[in-house]
Amino acid sequence: MAALRQIAFYGKGGIGKSTTSQNTLASMAHYFDKNIMIVGCDPKADSTRLILHEKAQNTILQLAAEMGTVEDLELEDALKPGAGIFSADTSGGWINCTESGGPEPGVGCAGRGVITAINFLEEEGAYEEEGLDFVSYDVLGDVVCGGFAMPIREGKAQEIYIVMSGEMMAMYAANNISKGILKYANTGGVRLAGLICNARMTDFEYDLACALAEDLGTHMIHFVPRNNIVQRAEIRRMTVVEYSPQADQALEYKELARKIIANDYKIIPTPLEMDDLEELIMKFGLDLEADEDNIGKSEAE
Amino acid sequence: MFILGFAFPADMGNKIPDEAVVAKLNDAGVDTSSINEIKMSTEYHGQTEELSYTNKDTFMFKALAHYVSTAETDYMIYTNRYQISELSKRIDSDDETMALCEKFDSMAHFKISAA
Repeated sequence: MAALRQIAFYGKGGIGKSTTSQNTLASMAHYFDKNIMIVGCDPKADSTRLILHEKAQNTILQLAAEMGTVEDLELEDALKPGAGIFSADTSGGWINCTESGGPEPGVGCAGRGVITAINFLEEEGAYEEEGLDFVSYDVLGDVVCGGFAMPIREGKAQEIYIVMSGEMMAMYAANNISKGILKYANTGGVRLAGLICNARMTDFEYDLACALAEDLGTHMIHFVPRNNIVQRAEIRRMTVVEYSPQADQALEYKELARKIIANDYKIIPTPLEMDDLEELIMKFGLDLEADEDNIGKSEAE
Repeated sequence: MFILGFAFPADMGNKIPDEAVVAKLNDAGVDTSSINEIKMSTEYHGQTEELSYTNKDTFMFKALAHYVSTAETDYMIYTNRYQISELSKRIDSDDETMALCEKFDSMAHFKISAA
């Protein structure tokens, strides 16, 4: 039996991590028969809705609050089998889903939910489930908060895929996440396994993503183009893979899934200084108008 | 590392020499003798365009012939297309190929077939 691989999808808020991760994991299960547990680590609890065909599943923190304490919680209450083709009752791989949850907005530490969830899943034996090939963490933000770095701090997630785009803030977050990986690489063994460019279809986006990947010492494992079918599938709370398996976009996710399964390029990243990051963006002409003379001037000027 | 869908082992790092990609393509054993033309159609923001490529002496032709021969459908994966263009710009030099590279670098959606 192959060893369990623990991967994580990190990236800035709103970049499309949950959509990308669910569609990719769905492809790994559906096309390549991989059995997967998704651990959503976002207080929005939207890391599993497309696999479950639900709005948002009850989180471990919510369920623990209802029960009194997390000790009163049973694994089957918090870990739900995927719907449709992701159920263990159908052919192909299966996907089980759980969400850590988080506090009310403006109250408490969101990272606490991640810590509680992982400890609970470990104690309940979720990682020892027979046939489990992958555990995938879907993690919000840019690891400035130590709580969100929990999956990499504690040596849980071994391979990190950073979902980014050609936009400045997405690249900034990717670089910041790389700093987090670097910090824990020697103690926990975590490695950067690649950048996934969830394209915004901005100018020079592919080149920019490749250049950032090269500077970080990694590779841009896949460029996922923008396609409205992703949104159409999401409205039905489905992944593209299930909604329209022959669609062009499903082939993109299938190819990304194939690469992740085969990927052996896992490195300790070399993050950039902020000045170098800005220079990189300017080099590819995104900021052609950012010549010193143009700073502060409107388009009309 | 993955280039044109080929996996290169981690010990090769993240800068794969062009010669290594060409060697993989040659090893893939694609028979281009029966392919005389690569037909493509592009679509972006409702604008469509039909393209034809016939320069058989190029890396571009070999890469496209390989893609057509191995792909599941006529849809061109964006990453592969961008990588073909990137390599072709370094390996090939003729005007027809360079013009196609420029089109490949766009955001357009491409369909491809052999004739």
